[in-house]
Amino acid sequence: MQSQSPTHEFFPAPPSQTWKRYPRLLGRLGMFTLIRELSLRGNFLVKVAVEVLWLGILLAFYETVFARTSMVASWPKQDYLFFVGCFFAINGVLETLFLENCNEFSNLVRTGDLDFLLLKPIDEQFLITCRRVDWSVSPNIIMGFCVMAVSLWNKGWEFDALRVALFAITFTCGVAIAYSFMLVLTSFSVWLVRNQSLMEMWWLFSSLARYPREIFQRGWANSLDLVFTYILPILLVVNVPSRVMVKTIEPKMVCFIMVVTVASLAASRWFFQRALRSYRSASS
Amino acid sequence: MRNNRVPTDQTVPNHDSEALTVKMPPIIEVDHISKNYSVFRKKEGFKGAVQGLFKREYNTVEAVKDISFSIESGEFVAFLGPNGAGKTTTLKMLSGLIYPSQGTAKVLGYVPWERQDQYRRQFSLVMGQKNQLWWDLPASDSFELHREIYNIPKQQFQQTLGELIELLGVKDLTRQAVRELSLGERMKMELIAALLHRPRLLLLDEPTIGLDVVAQVTIQKCLREYHERNKVTVLLTSHYMRDVEALCRRVLVIAHGKLIYDGELSGIRDKFGQEKILKIEFQADAPPPDLSQYGLVGTIEGPTVELRVERPNVAEVLSNILARHTIADVSVQDPPLEQLIARVFEEGGTGE
Repeated sequence: MQSQSPTHEFFPAPPSQTWKRYPRLLGRLGMFTLIRELSLRGNFLVKVAVEVLWLGILLAFYETVFARTSMVASWPKQDYLFFVGCFFAINGVLETLFLENCNEFSNLVRTGDLDFLLLKPIDEQFLITCRRVDWSVSPNIIMGFCVMAVSLWNKGWEFDALRVALFAITFTCGVAIAYSFMLVLTSFSVWLVRNQSLMEMWWLFSSLARYPREIFQRGWANSLDLVFTYILPILLVVNVPSRVMVKTIEPKMVCFIMVVTVASLAASRWFFQRALRSYRSASS
Repeated sequence: MRNNRVPTDQTVPNHDSEALTVKMPPIIEVDHISKNYSVFRKKEGFKGAVQGLFKREYNTVEAVKDISFSIESGEFVAFLGPNGAGKTTTLKMLSGLIYPSQGTAKVLGYVPWERQDQYRRQFSLVMGQKNQLWWDLPASDSFELHREIYNIPKQQFQQTLGELIELLGVKDLTRQAVRELSLGERMKMELIAALLHRPRLLLLDEPTIGLDVVAQVTIQKCLREYHERNKVTVLLTSHYMRDVEALCRRVLVIAHGKLIYDGELSGIRDKFGQEKILKIEFQADAPPPDLSQYGLVGTIEGPTVELRVERPNVAEVLSNILARHTIADVSVQDPPLEQLIARVFEEGGTGE
């Protein structure tokens, strides 16, 4: 060290520790993960190809279904395609930003590598659930929006600013509710250490979210609709934003999803903090 | 044990430009802290595994038992103990990673396990067996991320980084992917990452583990120089006595979760060193055969023998040997610190 260097001086925290820091940090984390992904480009390209293929199969399947019927559970073809696009976009956001991080959480707990994340002077939930951006699934978001745009075009949809604004709000709410579910399931890793079965539960939830509520509104499945709309409201995630764009706007459901969003974010954060209190840190 | 150490005096100017001596509070204050773990006791075999599905038995492991100590600002303290003694558990409680079962602690004026951002900005934990840098990226990218997380002003970041790179001699390595660095080089990068935000407290958990002698000496030199220049408080755990002898004057010894010694490194000999080593060179070609009556016979090389003798008996043994044999040379030595510490660990401090 240079002899003329000043005496040790601790860097005090800047006066304003605002939320603005987080988007900047997310951008930086996203950039680093992109650099990493591009340096392993073979893996990156294969993952992108798989996602494109998966959407293609899904669209081909619905083409086949709608070749034989004009409606599925009261959803005409173009509306249903919008729903599929909305699901793809929401799922794309979740997988791009959070899924890989949540999946890896149990590994961090098992190896004790979580230690370094907890030591950083930043919100633990942010750092744990957002530290890596999975760019290979990000094309799903674009593909989802493209499918939505094409379906609206085919449907002859006329621009409606209110619907677009409500869609933006409820789309964000949908992402937040699904994120909360993911966070709760992830938090269990602190106690269970191995979390495979819980992440399978996440796949079950996301499978439920990909269908319109009307599918569950008959016979015995009615109870599923009630449970997964009002108790574990995973059916709201895609249904509400899709409906505000292509069906009649239901103010009650729009309000409900906003209340559910606030409640689920608060509850999942509380649960996550409880889980971190029980963290034992693997011995080194 | 010295739980109530005298606080460091520090002279600060008062508003009348007169020197005023104030007592600075300790950087670390640990008060009767304990940590218990409940550990699942798995029964053997398939039957035991099935039984474990319905009824589980747990053992309580007392990793840390009621320890108290305090560390003043600017001290470089070694935390010694065998594997499983509770060193790392204590460091993890001090860094706020885990909660104690009992007791309290204050570090830099904060309760560590409340994990306040203001507290986490002021210390660093380096673990020799773990890696916090991004594996696939150059260390410089991790440093940049570190700058964002700790909100370090860019100019100060560049200055500190430059100083640390020069200190550790790693100018050409920061743009190389971390996975391509040797263990010693990686540890240097870990140290840079830990020091970038200029922490006031540095917790080092076996920072030289697995390193070759050259890398160990480099890390020791850097830590000593950094400590001397910046007067940071350092708490170091290490299994290498060379690290401890090179860096620390004060040691805390922990065994079986209990603090059994807190004092000067040299004081360990007084407290636990019950033996002396007599190194005797006989005039004859070989030492006499009946030396075991005086003490424990150690290495024999030609006419020279090492004899371990209880400290109070040294004078008597020496006079007896001198009376019966012709001696060419004799010296009385303390046992090597490493051996002494190993014995303290084995006995868990019961030898005091």
